[in-house]
Amino acid sequence: MNRSMTRRTALLAAAVAVAALVATRPTQAQDTLNAYSIWPENWARPMLEEFTKASGIKVNFLRFSSGEALARVIAEKGNPKIDVLFGGPVETFAAGVKEGVFEAYKPPSFAALPARFRHVDGMWVAIADDPLVFMTNRKFLAENKLKAPASWEDLLHPAYKNGLQMADARTSGTAVTRIFSILEVNGRDEQKAFAYMKKLRGNIQLYTKSGGGGTLPVGLGQAAGGIFFIVDALDTKAKGYDVQISFPKEGIGTAAEGIALIKGAKNSAPAKKLIDWASSPAMQSLFAVHKINFVPAHPEVKTEASLAAVLKDAKIFAIDDAYAGANRKRIVDRWVAEILP
Amino acid sequence: MAANPVSIRLVGISARFDHRVKGEVAAVDDVSLEVAPGELLTLLGPSGCGKTTTLRMIAGFQRPSAGRILIGDHDVTEVLSNDRNIGFVFQNYALFPHLGIFENVAYGLRVRRMDEAAIRRVVGDVLELVGLKGYERQMPHQLSGGEQQRVALARAIVIKPRVLLFDEPLSNLDAKLRVQMRGEIQRLQRDVGITTVYVTHDQEEAMAISDRIAVMSKGVIAQLGRAEDLYSRPASEFVARFIGRANLLRTTVLARDGARLTLGMAGQRYVVDAPESGPPVGAVAHAVIRPETILIGPADAVGAIPGRVVTRTYLGEKTEYTVTVGADTLQIVRIGAAETERFEPGAAVGIRLPAGRLHLLPEVGT
Amino acid sequence: MLWSLLALFVVYPLSAMFGQAFLVDGRPSLGPLLSALGQPNHRAALANSLVLGTLVGIVGTTIGFLFAFTATRCNLPDRWVRLLDAATLLPLISPPFTTSIAFVFSFGPRGLITYELLGIKGTNVYGLASTLAAEVLTYFPIAYLALRPVLAAIGGNIEEMAFSLGSSRWRVFRTVTLPLAVPGLANAFLLLFAASLADFATPLILAGSRFPVLPTEAYLQITGLFDLKGGAVLSFLLLVPAAIVFLLQRHWVGRGHFVTVTGKAGPQSALDGVSRGARCLLVALCATVALSILYLYALLLYASVVVAFGANHALTLKHYVVIFTEGWKAIKDTLIIAFLGMPVGGLFGVLVGYLVARGEFRGRQAMELVSMANYALPGTIVGIAYLIAFNDPPIALTGGALIIVACYVFRYSPTGVRTTVALLKQIDRGIEEASRSLGAGSFTTFRRVTLPLVLPAFFAGLGVVFIRSMTAISATIFLVSIDWILITVRILENMTELSLGPAAAFSVFVIAVVMLVTTAIGALLRRLPGPPGIATVAGYGGG
Repeated sequence: MNRSMTRRTALLAAAVAVAALVATRPTQAQDTLNAYSIWPENWARPMLEEFTKASGIKVNFLRFSSGEALARVIAEKGNPKIDVLFGGPVETFAAGVKEGVFEAYKPPSFAALPARFRHVDGMWVAIADDPLVFMTNRKFLAENKLKAPASWEDLLHPAYKNGLQMADARTSGTAVTRIFSILEVNGRDEQKAFAYMKKLRGNIQLYTKSGGGGTLPVGLGQAAGGIFFIVDALDTKAKGYDVQISFPKEGIGTAAEGIALIKGAKNSAPAKKLIDWASSPAMQSLFAVHKINFVPAHPEVKTEASLAAVLKDAKIFAIDDAYAGANRKRIVDRWVAEILP
Repeated sequence: MAANPVSIRLVGISARFDHRVKGEVAAVDDVSLEVAPGELLTLLGPSGCGKTTTLRMIAGFQRPSAGRILIGDHDVTEVLSNDRNIGFVFQNYALFPHLGIFENVAYGLRVRRMDEAAIRRVVGDVLELVGLKGYERQMPHQLSGGEQQRVALARAIVIKPRVLLFDEPLSNLDAKLRVQMRGEIQRLQRDVGITTVYVTHDQEEAMAISDRIAVMSKGVIAQLGRAEDLYSRPASEFVARFIGRANLLRTTVLARDGARLTLGMAGQRYVVDAPESGPPVGAVAHAVIRPETILIGPADAVGAIPGRVVTRTYLGEKTEYTVTVGADTLQIVRIGAAETERFEPGAAVGIRLPAGRLHLLPEVGT
Repeated sequence: MLWSLLALFVVYPLSAMFGQAFLVDGRPSLGPLLSALGQPNHRAALANSLVLGTLVGIVGTTIGFLFAFTATRCNLPDRWVRLLDAATLLPLISPPFTTSIAFVFSFGPRGLITYELLGIKGTNVYGLASTLAAEVLTYFPIAYLALRPVLAAIGGNIEEMAFSLGSSRWRVFRTVTLPLAVPGLANAFLLLFAASLADFATPLILAGSRFPVLPTEAYLQITGLFDLKGGAVLSFLLLVPAAIVFLLQRHWVGRGHFVTVTGKAGPQSALDGVSRGARCLLVALCATVALSILYLYALLLYASVVVAFGANHALTLKHYVVIFTEGWKAIKDTLIIAFLGMPVGGLFGVLVGYLVARGEFRGRQAMELVSMANYALPGTIVGIAYLIAFNDPPIALTGGALIIVACYVFRYSPTGVRTTVALLKQIDRGIEEASRSLGAGSFTTFRRVTLPLVLPAFFAGLGVVFIRSMTAISATIFLVSIDWILITVRILENMTELSLGPAAAFSVFVIAVVMLVTTAIGALLRRLPGPPGIATVAGYGGG
């Protein structure tokens, strides 16, 4: 018994070793495409499943924070492994354009989109709009007899000391959009903006890797509050956490959520179909159905009523993608050097 | 079993290796030896004398750095050990721990692709021979040391090797079992008549079991011969001291008469057989005498050398004394002495050295 | 053949990393290193990592020693010892950061313990203290496993001897037990120090922004900014202390200082090794630690079956549905990789081990050293080195399964190597010679004698490769791709997204699978013929 067992073990091991050496995925059929999604699973998956339902095209996707996704796309420039970069704030796409990783493609909706929702040459188009918000824990507000923050200055209140969570600019597009919002309300005066952020630093409990990373801690009361995309904030509320959403009177940025075709994409035909679908009302009218609180980018799709009500009195401005794209790396580096430590 | 026993011949074999500190070292240095067909020859010596290395070279576990090894008429120096057809019994038995007793013994037969029925029969016979019938399904670790040694023996002889090699096979056993097992090994070897080389450091074991003994020291054979020869006529102080106990005496050559020498010591004269090139008259010569041949008696005995008892140890069948004689200290064993005849430490005694028991060493040293 | 594999998957990536860190435009330069050291953030990270590693080493070794001492000296009933073993096993077979999130929920400003139970407000869970606590709870079992045999070996006769000379219990402990355990303690300390240096996930979740540590910084440098050079330089900073620890440990173990105590472990002393009071205290301490671990894992299990932890505690299985539908690809990929790596790693370990222990060729020592390198270095370094080496031609492997399998095999088969070497040292050469003398050639001997005898090592090595393939993250997070994704990476992603439900469900799944497979391997090992206890499965440690 022993003898045969040994032999069998050896044979099995050898067979498996050979299998390991040749193991690769079968070449993909024509109706499949690969994507990195910057949207978290809970938004990306239902949308991409709807796309598969509508078109019969299967989408393999992997979720990364925007910095990671962009980093990977740049790293794979020589040998692209994906076809589409899906979702994520527009400044990420602007940075990608600068790196030359995208292929221009103008979907049918291109003409209908407002200027800020499309790249001039069609390097990217927007599939949604996503404003930043302040989100605070209501129990925290009550205990500290505070009103929901209504100004950037309110976040500097000592009660928030060690209480705020927001995203890390090294990995998260949410963070970059936030930093550009602060630059805008300070008239793009970098000295002033960084001075503010240094003051804010004292109240930061944690910079999270992911844009939505702080929502649950705020919901649970582990953190007092933070700055998030509205889609994450409203989802936290919808899950039943007792949170308050508010906007600063000075205004806050909104980021168009983009989609782009990767240069050298191996499945460019199905990829273009996904871009056509995502930039059209076909997808964006499904936001409301799946209770995803993105503001549609296509003018023909109405913002869902409750979302519209939240946004009614907010002062929101668009992040200038040209300015953001041109200065992203420098600003992030400065943030890492000056604010992070 | 072995119908035609073969001889083993070692022709000038050496085992040299590089030592980090000492440079080139010879564990075995130019050893030549012939083991007669069917003979049991023992390599005896202290640890590090090269006996095991010699055995391992015969087995083929180690290549000699010089010299030839012949088994029968075949030069096997370049033959791998698995093709030499030897039986080897290891000090620690080296049973296969993952195989049962039957499979351990059958291993060599399976390697030889013997058919299953024959294996059953032969293994059964051998296990019976070593008294282990009924142990077939046991695992090695379930057996006692003596039983494991028998399995090792059975495993070695079942393949009908041309030569049988033992590497200190009894050193892990307790004293009583050792005596019993060496008897069994001797009986078995006689029965099957295989030419055998046996390694041990235990002189008593060697004397009990061997046809001839090669005493090894520092990589060379110090003396080769039958046990009686080694004991009564040691070729060197080393052999004298290694085989039994010995008193070394400083004497002066007084006269030479052909093959006989007259030695003088402590005022007494002794006549001994002279070696071929004996020392000249007037020279200092060393002689050996065994403790049990020295006679001890009252101080006033006629012709006795006066001595003084230092210690006395009573051991039942014998009594051991150490006695100072002049500048020398002698060991004396008195066998079966009467209770009345006892010499307490400090007592003055008379010593007598029976003339025929004195053996002149050819040389002093080693 | 083995050499070329080792060269390709150990030497080449590490040299590629050095190249990346120290070559500027093809010329050697210390510029990148100096500029990295110039950044206060990185300097702080280096210092913090060393502080954290030292503290984890000290505290973890202490707790591990307490456990080992309690298990070997307190005459506990077997059941209790098994309970201790079970509690310490959990952290060893789960992804290394699973406890972190439970920590946040327990000790944060609204933590179950700090706020709900104790009513403390405004606590700060992020920082050194909680990172330290989480890492200690995760890694002290390594110290326990390392120290238990040492204490068991010291036991019995030597201490009885001291007692018989009239020493008090405390004196025996102080003057005999402790000094004899010192090499073991040092070894445990170094193991823990290395484990902490390798861990980037726990600090990622718990360290907060004021306590940057090197592995996490290197990870963010690479994943966030795709700064390979920066990552390589930070890795190098990490490599220096790691290499020192590795060499120190080798020195210690290699010189035979490790378990120098000979003599039979013998029957456990009939004397109580400790007084009644000390025994109560020890048991209470161990029970506290064991219960903390069980509590954290219970919390994890609970989080996997409620709708939204902290908000909606209705029971649900939806997170499990999620991991088996949306997460199915990760599960499938991970299992494929783990089951591929398992036999390859086991075989590789046995082969290298055999060559190291029995081979007679030049460079045997070097082979052993090289085979241990990937194991000894923090995973972050290995992962980054692989990424740098295999991202571009000539050998572009990133994106495939092969590179992940290779990473696991070369990183975790050293356990198999060490077990094989240890086993072969126990097995007398005479056994192989006996086979030769009976007429078996060297191949037959290897196949019919050596291989069956080292089978326990094969299975031990294979088990470790499997466990690590299921739970490790530090190296392979750099190697996942659109085609091959790992459960641990998904767990980390879910955790940083704070989708606790699926993260918890994934973790529970991983723990269940690993338990199942290791139990199966254990059962197989027991059925192997041969004397009992010829091999003990150890070495589940390492991040």
